[in-house]
Amino acid sequence: MFHWLERNPFFFAVGVFLVIAYAGVVTILPDFMESARPVVGKKPYTVLELAGRQTYIKDSCNACHSQLIRPFKSETDRYGMYSLSGEYAYDRPFLWGSKRTGPDLMRVGNYRTSDWHEYHMMAPTSVVPGSIMPAYKHMFSNTADIETAYAEAYTVKTVFNVPYDKPDMPKLGTLDESKKEVMAQAALIVADMKSQEVKDAFKKGEIKEIVAIIAYLNSLK
Amino acid sequence: MNMETIRELQAYGYILFTIFLAVILYSYLYHLYRDEKTGTRNYEKYSDIALHDNIDDAPVEAISPLNKEKD
Amino acid sequence: MQAKDALNYDYSVAKCFTYATILFGIIGMLIGVVIAYQMAFPELNYLAGEYGTYSRLRPLHTSGVIFGFLLSGIFASWYYIGQRVLKVSMAESKFLMVIGKLHFWIYMIVILTAVVTLFMGVSTSKEYAELEWPLDIAVVVLWVLWGFSIFGLIGIRREKTLYISMWYFIATFLGVAMLYLFNNMEVPTYFVSGVGKWYHSVSMYAGTNDAMVQWWYGHNAVAFVFTVPIIAMIYYFLPKESGQPVFSYKLSLLSFWGLMFVYLWAGGHHLLYSTVPDWVQTMGSIFSVILILPSWGSAINMLLTMKGEWGQLKANPLIKFMVLASTFYMLSTLEGPIQAIKSVNALAHFTDWIPGHVHDGTLGWVGFMLMAALFHMAPRMYKKELYSKKLMEAQFWLQTTGIVMYFTSMWIAGITQGMMWRATDQFGNLAYSFIDTVTVLIPYYSLRATGGLFYLVGFFMFSYNMYKTISAGKAISSEPQNASPMSA
Repeated sequence: MFHWLERNPFFFAVGVFLVIAYAGVVTILPDFMESARPVVGKKPYTVLELAGRQTYIKDSCNACHSQLIRPFKSETDRYGMYSLSGEYAYDRPFLWGSKRTGPDLMRVGNYRTSDWHEYHMMAPTSVVPGSIMPAYKHMFSNTADIETAYAEAYTVKTVFNVPYDKPDMPKLGTLDESKKEVMAQAALIVADMKSQEVKDAFKKGEIKEIVAIIAYLNSLK
Repeated sequence: MNMETIRELQAYGYILFTIFLAVILYSYLYHLYRDEKTGTRNYEKYSDIALHDNIDDAPVEAISPLNKEKD
Repeated sequence: MQAKDALNYDYSVAKCFTYATILFGIIGMLIGVVIAYQMAFPELNYLAGEYGTYSRLRPLHTSGVIFGFLLSGIFASWYYIGQRVLKVSMAESKFLMVIGKLHFWIYMIVILTAVVTLFMGVSTSKEYAELEWPLDIAVVVLWVLWGFSIFGLIGIRREKTLYISMWYFIATFLGVAMLYLFNNMEVPTYFVSGVGKWYHSVSMYAGTNDAMVQWWYGHNAVAFVFTVPIIAMIYYFLPKESGQPVFSYKLSLLSFWGLMFVYLWAGGHHLLYSTVPDWVQTMGSIFSVILILPSWGSAINMLLTMKGEWGQLKANPLIKFMVLASTFYMLSTLEGPIQAIKSVNALAHFTDWIPGHVHDGTLGWVGFMLMAALFHMAPRMYKKELYSKKLMEAQFWLQTTGIVMYFTSMWIAGITQGMMWRATDQFGNLAYSFIDTVTVLIPYYSLRATGGLFYLVGFFMFSYNMYKTISAGKAISSEPQNASPMSA
């Protein structure tokens, strides 16, 4: 058998492939069903929050911030209740991160406010002296891409049966209906903010990235 | 299929793998040494494939109908 | 078989990839040094507006060195080693030449587009798989082309038995293909909803599942890009450069299967104490520790190949690069499993010890091996002597110092950070606020960045040496058998 493998590159390749694929089949596939179940009361992100999530990804916030609280006292003291699998049921992709250059953000919505985030994104050291985080001033001038966020929500609803438009769940509807919802949610955040630029843009119907990302960060609880 | 059955299959898959791994690796080791002892094949000479690799060097084992391997 | 007159190995594709290796090496490492200094001096984040922040640049650094520098180095050595160990020239098949050239150009287009899109912030967020779906498809195309090249060349070979390096190249090809495909399963949103950006997509997997698939990929991408093809290289280049046959060819075969059996099971160690099932975590730990065996099998085999020939270490800087590379391989394959032990991981995870560990492997093992490979190939591809041995020695010591600075500072930083996060006062309250654990690390960040800078300067020395070899090296009449010829 070994002679034969050594002489036949094709079957050798098949052998290697089977050996390396086997691990994936046994470890990964079986758990797909169980861990995909959302915890009770978990709601999918609204369109504005998704737009914020896309901004979070665009600027790779996950390069420095984790979203995974491990079950240690030192972590639960600092960040809150440890993470449960079902809490991530609507996270596509997952944003656990692999490095904590900055603190964990899994439950940042519990202890930070819209105006804190506003100051922090504009000038991190103004609220956290000594911070090495860069300022994200461009979030105040870039407009959030609500249409792509809607496209994402619509896609997960259609393809993965994410429960939008169900009782007690965020509304999605058509693009126009959804835009109204987005404006309503954004209005609350803009009202808490100080930036004139953002307020003026909002009057013209534009939502800046900073508004979307604050909506997303506030939703992390 | 419920989760219980899946877990059980998973455990079997895992155990079988470990046994399979041990058996294959040891029999491979056995095969390598037996072949060398019985003179079927000298594995160490394959090192020369890297050392004599000019295009006009003779291959360590040429592909040709004359010395087709009978295994 | 009769050797045809005037038949020579054709290195045109290998040369193209050599240039790409140097180009992307400079880009990727330069960005790496910039982001390292940004952590020590945050003002450096504002050099290029939105496009110059740490967070935008970090995926560029990782993708740049992995898929730019490393992959082109792997391809360069494939197009060199492949022909030689199969004893067949690319020039013998028009088809393979076309495939090779196409492979190179599609590769260049993909990587350059990747650089642009990552600057723009187009990303799926998955580490080492940030590219959006149109680029993923292009990557698949280029990988298939590489497959044609490998199996095409094998199809017309003269050497019946596949040399051990070939085994590792085949495994790289298959492993990356499988991992990349599964991790990048995504649904383009535009084609479902009809609105939004056409290139945006959403992952097929959610939450914990997505994390499992990602780290199954992330860990094994390391296996099949940082380890397997580099072993393929060292199994060819070290024996060839030193003129010594592999210490034990049988051990090399056995280590190969050991590595294949074990590596894929170890990915769970990236997710210890997370929400993935416990048994996956435990298995990840155990297999990570077992992984020491096949890794050390290869490394020790390489060191023993030099048995009785240690004098060469003094005479030939290339041997020095390769021996240090296998030593760093042993170091990082010991460090990795230690970090995968659950209680160590509790401390080390999320800290700077992890990038420290990665860079032991990448700078010491991968980087040194790649540069040694290119140095070895240059005199044979260009028929010139290597330009300067002195420069090579200087580069070696500068880069070695850089690596040592890098990993010592990151060890200290990582452990300090981990300890401070969990430190409590006498009443059981947390002793430090998060920002305390950041500011204390700044001196280590400076040290690390400077270590990185040393390495980068060394890489410039390498590039200059290569450039001078190609443009102004002393011509050699016949191909050197073993040790590469070099001018003082």
